[in-house]
Amino acid sequence: MAKSKHYRHKNGAMYLMLAPYLLLLFFFGILPAIMGVLEVPKPSMANADGGWDAFSIVVQDFRFAPAFRHVMGFMAMFVPLMIIFVIGMALMLDIKPSPWKKWLRMAYIVPASISGAVAVLVWYVILQPTLSPIKGVLKWFNITESSQIWQQKNLVYILVVMAFFAAAGNWILIQYGSLQSISTEILEAARVDGCSVFQMALRIKLPLISKYIIYMSVLVFAGGLQIFVEPQLLNGGIYAGIADSWSFDQLSYNLAFMQGDFGGASALSILLLIPSLLGALLVIFKTDMFEGATGHAKKKEVEIQGH
Amino acid sequence: MKKKYSVMAVATAVVVGGAMVVPIAAQAATPSITIWVDAPRLPGAKLYAKIMKGKVNVKVELHGQADLLAKVQLFNRVKKGWPDVVFGPPNDVAVLKNPLIANALKLDKLLTPAEVKGFGNGNSWCKSSSGTYCVKNDLAQTVLWYDVKLFKEFGYTVPKTMDEFAAIGEDLAANHPGYSLGAVGDQGFYATFLWPSQCPLNQEKSATRVVINTKSPKCTRVAKLLQPLVDSGVLDTRSYFDAGYIKDVGQAGKIVANIGPSWWGEFVLRPAGTFAIPAGHIATAPMPKWAGEKVAYSGEWGGGIYTVSPHSKYPRQALDFAMFMVGDKRNLVTVKNPDGSFGAPTFPAYTPGNALWKAKVSGDKYYASNPFPAMLTQSSKIFAGEKPVRYDSNGAWGAAFAPEMTKSKDIQKAVDAYGAYVSNLAQQLGYEVSTK
Repeated sequence: MAKSKHYRHKNGAMYLMLAPYLLLLFFFGILPAIMGVLEVPKPSMANADGGWDAFSIVVQDFRFAPAFRHVMGFMAMFVPLMIIFVIGMALMLDIKPSPWKKWLRMAYIVPASISGAVAVLVWYVILQPTLSPIKGVLKWFNITESSQIWQQKNLVYILVVMAFFAAAGNWILIQYGSLQSISTEILEAARVDGCSVFQMALRIKLPLISKYIIYMSVLVFAGGLQIFVEPQLLNGGIYAGIADSWSFDQLSYNLAFMQGDFGGASALSILLLIPSLLGALLVIFKTDMFEGATGHAKKKEVEIQGH
Repeated sequence: MKKKYSVMAVATAVVVGGAMVVPIAAQAATPSITIWVDAPRLPGAKLYAKIMKGKVNVKVELHGQADLLAKVQLFNRVKKGWPDVVFGPPNDVAVLKNPLIANALKLDKLLTPAEVKGFGNGNSWCKSSSGTYCVKNDLAQTVLWYDVKLFKEFGYTVPKTMDEFAAIGEDLAANHPGYSLGAVGDQGFYATFLWPSQCPLNQEKSATRVVINTKSPKCTRVAKLLQPLVDSGVLDTRSYFDAGYIKDVGQAGKIVANIGPSWWGEFVLRPAGTFAIPAGHIATAPMPKWAGEKVAYSGEWGGGIYTVSPHSKYPRQALDFAMFMVGDKRNLVTVKNPDGSFGAPTFPAYTPGNALWKAKVSGDKYYASNPFPAMLTQSSKIFAGEKPVRYDSNGAWGAAFAPEMTKSKDIQKAVDAYGAYVSNLAQQLGYEVSTK
């Protein structure tokens, strides 16, 4: 009896601590999603009689297929580049304790502090042949006119560079943190057994942080799928129209706010939610990322059943 | 205290005389209007708020032109917040009067006969078969801008036809390489060449039908005549506002002539931030005529409009602001702008206002000769076939035309790309697209 009271007390505290998150989740996650779903069948200029065919209308939009190509091309480069580069950097940073490490860590945070919006400006200046601080390099590649850079076929590369430099620094620090969580006993044991630095990185550290890598992959995937700020700013500020409806999110924005088609925009947003949701479910159920939490839940279940 | 009194007055009135008395109480209150303008219109709007103090409470807000539709739709959602009167780009009228958005008031009954007469044909953009839905701030009719000193140096005469214009280009390419007749990599190409040539691109025939036909001879003749000039570099495939073009061509004083809107001199040729052409160089001439045409038509690049919201409680007061902007000397001539210049920078669409503006620009020593007569000639020759449309016809120049122009440097291909893009947009928004 006393035991169950103890648990009930613990549950109360748990719900209390969960409450702020649940509130936020409800108001900024679930509620907007429900409103989005309800919005889909409402009539608009593109879907005059309304109805759930808003989904098929938006998929058939003449800008949908190009946006699909753009985003897939972007992800094909951005996601692997991020994962390989970030993990590599974090492993290299972790090799040996050195007095320089904290300065190095700070150096990684500098590019991370450049947000997507600022990155657009920074890279615009770097790549614009008339303004560039690396004019010589551009010239060596025979680039002397802005029109050689700002072409639609180059956009995907430019956007990968922008997004990469804006996001990589943060993730290096996070993965460096995950490497710090590896028990020193394991590393010590490996060292005693004659493990080289490379073997240690690839055979010991990498498997131990694999769940964090999967976690990162899902977040990078979801972020890449929803790329918006960089192409939208390029489109509005630099060469008007150069990246018009380049990504899914931009198309959704255009549908809603340039064409007054809230239904189509909602339909597209819901379509975008699906792959990200699948990714999240993958992390929760196929990796042991949240092992502790589910373990506890199972224990609780047993307890309740036992009672 | 004041508020308390009026509440009490209304309450008493309702008790004593019923609902009938309420409007009297409302009339006694000072009208309040909210106006949205862009940066060039801001000094005039602020001045208007000052002038009207005590008579009308005017709230001036600076807003980005591109987000008007987005904001109006959100206001429609919450059923409040609409500004009373908005300055915006010319295509706004088609978007705003569309029943789904419904934020452009029909102005036929509000405009006085004198005002209607004052606009003459200057407001025809705002008129459709169903009525007048906006008031035009300025006309952005194209004229030929040329550098008199370079013309003299190279021995050119002002071209009267497009063939003569192209001949100058050929001579420049052969004998004076590096000199330019303008840039063709942006929306300007529409206003300066395609529209004057009557190329059917956004010719709305009814609320459900638009004519888009880039294969029309009126379009193909543009590509045919100008492609050699693009190939030789006399017409630059960059945008006029490309940092490189501004530096290498504009500021280097290498623009011999170009077709440009009536605001070109004040906004682009003269300011230090753009082409910075010194005084005594610039003059205007009427548009060159296309072979076989009777009229040398102009296109329009910009030419803003004022729309009044149907949700406004004081629509006439809202319209009064627009009339102040287009017809009052204090805005057109004397208001001081942040850059140190005075008055409105653009050609007023309203005839009485235009007369005031004429005096200002005609006496300006910056120009080698009075630029006004050519503008006046062309103001009545804006080809009326191109119409406001519900889709973003201007944005499509950036989205479809410019990228193709940069890539292939082929005029016809780029125009076709534009045509295909706007056809898609138009169909999506419920237009039937036809070629005739």
